[in-house]
Amino acid sequence: MPISAADPLLDIAGLSSGYGKIGVLHGVNLTIGAGEVVALLGPNGAGKTTLLRAVSGLLPWSGSVRFAGRDLAGASPRDIVKAGLAHVVEGHRVFTQLAVLDNLLLAAYDLPRGERTARVEEALGLFPEIAAKRHERAAALSGGQQQILAVAQGLVRRPRLLMLDEPSAGLSPVLVDRVLVVVRRLREAGTAVLLVEQLIEKALALADRVYALARGAIVLEAKTGEADLPHRLEHAYLATASR
Amino acid sequence: MAQVRPSRAGALGATSTFGVALPFLALLVIGIAFPLFGGGYWGVIATRACVYWVLVSGLNLVVGFAGQIAIGWVALLTLGAYTTSVLVAGNVTPALPPYLALAIAAVVGAIFGLIVGLPALRLRTFYFAITTLGFATIVTQVALAWQSVTGGGVGVAGPIFPKPFDSQWGFYYFCFGLAAICTWMTANIAASRFGRALTAIRDAEVAAEACGIAKPALLVLVFLFSGAVAAIAGGLFASLQSYITPDAFTLDLSVLFFIAILIGGRSSILGPLLGTILLTVLPEFAAPLVAWSTFLYAVLLLVIVLAMPGGIAELLDFKNRRPLESGRAIVPRPELLARLLTAPAGAGAGALTLEQVALAFGGVHAIDGLDLEIRSGQIHGLIGPNGSGKTTTLNVISGYYAQQSGAVRLNGAALPVLARHRRAHMRIARTFQTPRIVGSASVLQNVMIGGTIDGECTFVESLLSLPRHRRDEVLLRDTAMLALAAVGLERLAAVRADRLQHSELRFTEIARALMLRPAFLLLDEPAAGLSAEEIGRLGALVVAIARAGTGVLLVEHHADLIFDICHHVTVLNLGKNLAAGTPAEIRSHREVVNAYLGG
Amino acid sequence: MVQSIVSTGVAIGCIYALIGITYNVMFSASRVFSFTAGTLGMLGGVLGSLFIARLGMPVAVGFLLALAGGVILGIVTEIVAVRPVLKSLDQHLYVLSTLALALMVQQFTAIEWGTEARPFPRLFDIARGGFDQQFWLPMLACASVIVGLELLYRHTLIGRAFLAIAEDTYAARALGLPERRLRMLSYALAGAIGALAGFAGGEMLLAFFGNGPMLTFYGFVPVALGGMGNNRGAVVAGLLLGLFQQTANFLVGGIFASVAVFTVFIIVLLARPEGLAGAALQRRV
Repeated sequence: MPISAADPLLDIAGLSSGYGKIGVLHGVNLTIGAGEVVALLGPNGAGKTTLLRAVSGLLPWSGSVRFAGRDLAGASPRDIVKAGLAHVVEGHRVFTQLAVLDNLLLAAYDLPRGERTARVEEALGLFPEIAAKRHERAAALSGGQQQILAVAQGLVRRPRLLMLDEPSAGLSPVLVDRVLVVVRRLREAGTAVLLVEQLIEKALALADRVYALARGAIVLEAKTGEADLPHRLEHAYLATASR
Repeated sequence: MAQVRPSRAGALGATSTFGVALPFLALLVIGIAFPLFGGGYWGVIATRACVYWVLVSGLNLVVGFAGQIAIGWVALLTLGAYTTSVLVAGNVTPALPPYLALAIAAVVGAIFGLIVGLPALRLRTFYFAITTLGFATIVTQVALAWQSVTGGGVGVAGPIFPKPFDSQWGFYYFCFGLAAICTWMTANIAASRFGRALTAIRDAEVAAEACGIAKPALLVLVFLFSGAVAAIAGGLFASLQSYITPDAFTLDLSVLFFIAILIGGRSSILGPLLGTILLTVLPEFAAPLVAWSTFLYAVLLLVIVLAMPGGIAELLDFKNRRPLESGRAIVPRPELLARLLTAPAGAGAGALTLEQVALAFGGVHAIDGLDLEIRSGQIHGLIGPNGSGKTTTLNVISGYYAQQSGAVRLNGAALPVLARHRRAHMRIARTFQTPRIVGSASVLQNVMIGGTIDGECTFVESLLSLPRHRRDEVLLRDTAMLALAAVGLERLAAVRADRLQHSELRFTEIARALMLRPAFLLLDEPAAGLSAEEIGRLGALVVAIARAGTGVLLVEHHADLIFDICHHVTVLNLGKNLAAGTPAEIRSHREVVNAYLGG
Repeated sequence: MVQSIVSTGVAIGCIYALIGITYNVMFSASRVFSFTAGTLGMLGGVLGSLFIARLGMPVAVGFLLALAGGVILGIVTEIVAVRPVLKSLDQHLYVLSTLALALMVQQFTAIEWGTEARPFPRLFDIARGGFDQQFWLPMLACASVIVGLELLYRHTLIGRAFLAIAEDTYAARALGLPERRLRMLSYALAGAIGALAGFAGGEMLLAFFGNGPMLTFYGFVPVALGGMGNNRGAVVAGLLLGLFQQTANFLVGGIFASVAVFTVFIIVLLARPEGLAGAALQRRV
């Protein structure tokens, strides 16, 4: 079914999720349009990582999540990756026992062999610093390079939406800028990005829109151009909960 | 002043005690009357069930309560059987009277129970299971090889007990009596602080340490007891068989004992008792299936593990089938805290201090030269972004991590590093980020675990239900009910803990921590997962705890709770003290705001 | 004499090493140990004897069928005893579920095949003596498995997927790898390896249902000493175990040899619970 221009690429409504008995998200609403860069901000413990895990099928959830017109209820992470939604998890978790090239090949596991090698080369082309180390084990890379490898893994499948969970964590400012340059280029190429970040200024510089999540619910939604945004964010983070 | 209704707790105790005792009384009556309607053949089966139960009752404490996968316990049956038989037969030593031989076998069994069991303190679950299997095989092979003593493959005659236990029914009553005594003793342990401590080690080891429970000492007691009764069962078994050879002690038998406990359900006496009777009797009813009996046991085990891990005990737990009221609210009664938190004489105002504490994991400085002071009667908040070192600090104070430099002092004296089960004795209590409780025990039992170290009676006194044990139990129960009432959960005291909501489990942990009458209470993100209203009640409770004299360290993400109730706040960032002061000062501190928002 | 001890010791050590590898392959895929590893070895011998000696099939066919039997048991283990338990909160249940399954298979074998040790057929029609096939068959099997696994892990995508799952299941899932199917395939592979061990060692161990518990224990020693998930450690430890056992057998006789092995095992384990080489892959915190 073709998506009309008005339909968002990712449409989350009333999403609740958690870990066992501990409820973390309570009715989250969020949309991302095709080709948009959306920043998701919020204090620690708010549920940002939980939200990404729910959307990519790693956690059970209730509510409604629609991606490219398709209902994601009950979908496995594998189905969701195939549908064009890639999740780069927190903590630059790459397979340290395998070579850089193998890490990328695994990201393209389901593709036929010819296409697989082509896509992997494409991803390596975006990141020359790891392309040079393609046959080295991922354990030999620095933390920053591993993060870049993780982002490259996310890009191998040419996703329509790429979700990045705190890609700047543990990176030097230079590498942070490298990663964010790639994000900017993604937007130009038409890939949507959901960026969870701690570095608010850099995230706002890149994003089209911003959401703030606190205590499991969205407390702020705005376009990044709006006035008074930093002050409103501060208020959303540290304000007492409305009782 | 509001009263905790002791009559209600008492009435609850009285009716439930009778309810619990009823099945045992029924079995007692059936057992005593058995010879009247059972024939000779069934007498042998019944005696065998009694003998097996003597072993299984002890093994139940190891497997069911302590959760140690000891599959090869038949080794102790073998040891007991051969020791008794050889001592009575008199071909190695001068012939001894059977009772004395049985007593000596019990001692041997206790020693070997300890030997077989001790690796559990060092080894992972599967590894320990394999070593017990290996041990069982070794003992049987030694019995086969040591011909001069055990008669090798030919075997040795079993002991015959003197009148009146030399006839079939006489011997039956002897075994029945011992089985009844073992039931009584292990039931006493189950309802004592030792039994509860065992389940705590099994299901919430980290929390058990924080409550002061020392795993090695407890497991030693249990292995000694279990080994002794297993050996006694061996002596009885040898007498029942009249003649024993090594191939009477098969792995199948070991598996039977083990499966009986699991089918019966953990943390239960009645369940494994019924399980033992069931597994002893089952092959007799299904005569053509005798060869398939072990196969059936294995199928039963698989079904239980996959479908009903709680076993027969869960089936019989009618009390916990009743639905709980929905829309329950936790309403603490802070006014009760004054009665609960009576400090021991001589305890005045004190302080828990960190001086230049540093700890690094790999190259990352989790804590980097931190100074902190928690004073009695004050609430000290510890906040900071993720990875700032909040929980690491709490773990260092409570002894789970050792600092690499700097000191943690209690009233000036340095705290021993990594001695996490000693913290409870110093009246430092804590809660955990994810509630660590014993799911299969009731809320009240979980809270009573917090008071384990205050008990005075010894293991033997509990075993025999001597007066000091009973006094301990009453005192512990009353204190726990008071703690539950203080946090607002007394209506859920008898409910299985795993039926509770997350927020209720949090308050249960606090009640458990209060049992130590702590001088200092460390709370690890207690507000996570609580509704706004519950957070408010939590705040009021913590304020009251501090007012009663306890010093509180509150590690939290919820900035509003911190600013509401703390007297003093320290902000951590990257392991360093970024700012410290009153909530008002911190709130407007520019750097703090930036740290939270990043940049 | 020495030659006999060495050839028997290395041969049986290879069988133990293979069972250790079976444990390890299952462990790498699921983080649990399964009691069915020893049972697989037992089945390899029993099925081989059944198909070739009793039913008269050609050696190659009997071999493939025996391996197939191992694969089936491996898959059944994953579906029935491991998958349901991984979902539950109490991880330790896997010890009980795999124990139950192993017992069921063993008892069934005891009832249908009989409790006596039956001879295993001679696979190649060469005269006995010297460096006999009952010695070099297990060695060949062990070497083939080592080489085969190396090829699998280094040169095929699915082998690398196995390594990925072993290192970090969470990241593998997030990346879209078919985690469940890969786990099942790992168990199928482990089943084949275990059955191969029993088949290759059939002439030495005979087709005997009681080999199950024996291999469960002796096959675990290489894992415990070599380190969890460490196949190279398992091979070294397995060979050492085989040689030690045969030497002790020769010096003090069968029964006390078992006691000696067990005692050394316990002592080493208590001194170094992680094994002599340590765990191959550190779990991500």
